[in-house]
Amino acid sequence: MQSLTKTFRVQPRDFVKAGEASLKIQRLLKDIGFDPTLIRRVAVCAYESEMNVVMYGGEGKILLEVSAEKISVITDDDGPGIEDIEKALQEGYSTAPPEYREMGFGAGMGLPNIKKNADLFEIRSGKGDGTTLVMSFEVRQ
Amino acid sequence: MIEKLPSATEQQVNYVRIDEDKCNGCVLCMKVCPTKAIRVRDNHKAVIVGVCIDCGECVKVCPRGAVEPIINLTSDFEEAPYKVVSPSTAIYAQFGPDVMPNDVLLALKKMGFDYVHDQSYTSEMFNVAIELYVKENHEHGHSPWPLISPVCPVVVRLIRYRYPSLLKHLPPLATPREIVAREAKKRLSQKHGCSQDVIKVIHVTPCAAKMICIREPFFLERSYLDAAVGISSIHEEIIRNLKDLEEDTVLHHSGGIGLGWGMSGGEIAGLHMNCLAVSGLSETIKYLEQIEMGLLTDIEYVEFRMCTEGCIGGPLTVIDKYRAKHRLQTLVRLFGAERRVKYEYVKNLYDKGWFLAEREVEGFPSERSARDIKAEIRRRNQIEKILEHLPRKECGLCGSPDCETFAEDVVDGRSSLDKCVFLDAKGKEKGLQ
Repeated sequence: MQSLTKTFRVQPRDFVKAGEASLKIQRLLKDIGFDPTLIRRVAVCAYESEMNVVMYGGEGKILLEVSAEKISVITDDDGPGIEDIEKALQEGYSTAPPEYREMGFGAGMGLPNIKKNADLFEIRSGKGDGTTLVMSFEVRQ
Repeated sequence: MIEKLPSATEQQVNYVRIDEDKCNGCVLCMKVCPTKAIRVRDNHKAVIVGVCIDCGECVKVCPRGAVEPIINLTSDFEEAPYKVVSPSTAIYAQFGPDVMPNDVLLALKKMGFDYVHDQSYTSEMFNVAIELYVKENHEHGHSPWPLISPVCPVVVRLIRYRYPSLLKHLPPLATPREIVAREAKKRLSQKHGCSQDVIKVIHVTPCAAKMICIREPFFLERSYLDAAVGISSIHEEIIRNLKDLEEDTVLHHSGGIGLGWGMSGGEIAGLHMNCLAVSGLSETIKYLEQIEMGLLTDIEYVEFRMCTEGCIGGPLTVIDKYRAKHRLQTLVRLFGAERRVKYEYVKNLYDKGWFLAEREVEGFPSERSARDIKAEIRRRNQIEKILEHLPRKECGLCGSPDCETFAEDVVDGRSSLDKCVFLDAKGKEKGLQ
């Protein structure tokens, strides 16, 4: 099965470059010619997870894997990790400090939004262990 | 080595022409093109090979004046029994501090037109229509947020070509320039008891893309405008005509809001809602991409203008955009920063469908429309492979605008790796594997 893989680096706390990796992912998927609705779902998930790395994570990367059947986005960082995953998945729950909220982030919608948009969503994290998000999307033709 | 030369018809469709005698094959126009439609061929001449959105950036950047917009009075217009001129509001910024909008309109009329129709008043009416549509959209949710202004033809063309998923963000309303022309034709044919076909309307514009939106009016079956002429090509004549104005008819009716439309932020200045004004090529692209990612949904309306600072930054203007902006700001103060249109009157027209577009805007058929995802992934892999070996100097010396586009051109058979001046023999071999 022919597939394409590409890795994008994400710098924590770099709000100037924040969102660039997801934008590149979006452009790439558009260039290949996937359905716009599918691209939007992938882009939303990539963006939310990228912003999570920028705001809370450590050195991070996003791995994109594309085939004619499936798109997967794996975001990985070596930050402090998530203490209570179940809580983090609740809408409106956020540990964002006020300065992030002032920038319009930290509404506690990131992970719930990802869960809503991805066909498959898996989260691996623990205190001090960093965080890995695996999101995949079926390509229906 | 780009084999495929643009044919005569393609050149015409673009309304931008590169003069081979003046072009020395520098990379400036190729680099600035937002759709990466320009290449420099081996004979050191730039050519248009892809879809041009008529933004005019290449016209502005060329130091030799080799890139010219094709825009002119048509002969068909000269012979028309009734000639109407309708200038873009950016025209009011092109003269000295003592020249009032009404003077400009009178001077234009003296050029041999039967009628002059100002756009600033209709622009204020359009503001009301947008407010009504936004209200409706909150109730019925026809269009996703944020709505995108349909006014700048280059932005609409960019969306059609590169961001078709955003087409539904455009409110289905005809633009002020078309409404003005439509109403002028309607009124004059009644007045003279003649067919609308013998009334021709010419648009005086700061914008290189207006010709194309007359030929391809995206919201209409057929444009109500018949021709376009650049402000810069008739500026001198207007100045001459300003000297001894005899007529003192009132042709200008708007408040300051309508007059400010020519500058970035001018359209949304008349809107009482949560909106943004974005201007300039790179910023426009950045924001369109953000909207495409599902961001900015808290905004109700975005005014995009492809030219920096708005229409006053257009390639066919005379006065520098910052001076022009100051001029418009002065006019806005003078005429009062409010609309002169009556809300109830406009609402009545709105309810009757006066502002409605005649059809939906469609996307362009993609260059590679029948997409085989597997083949595209294979192509992309080849491109990535070549990119790994390229120096990423982004110099453009190969004749393609950047390394990535060069890799695409190589894979698509439009260029070859030996065009890269930095790649050694070993790299070429690896890239080709």
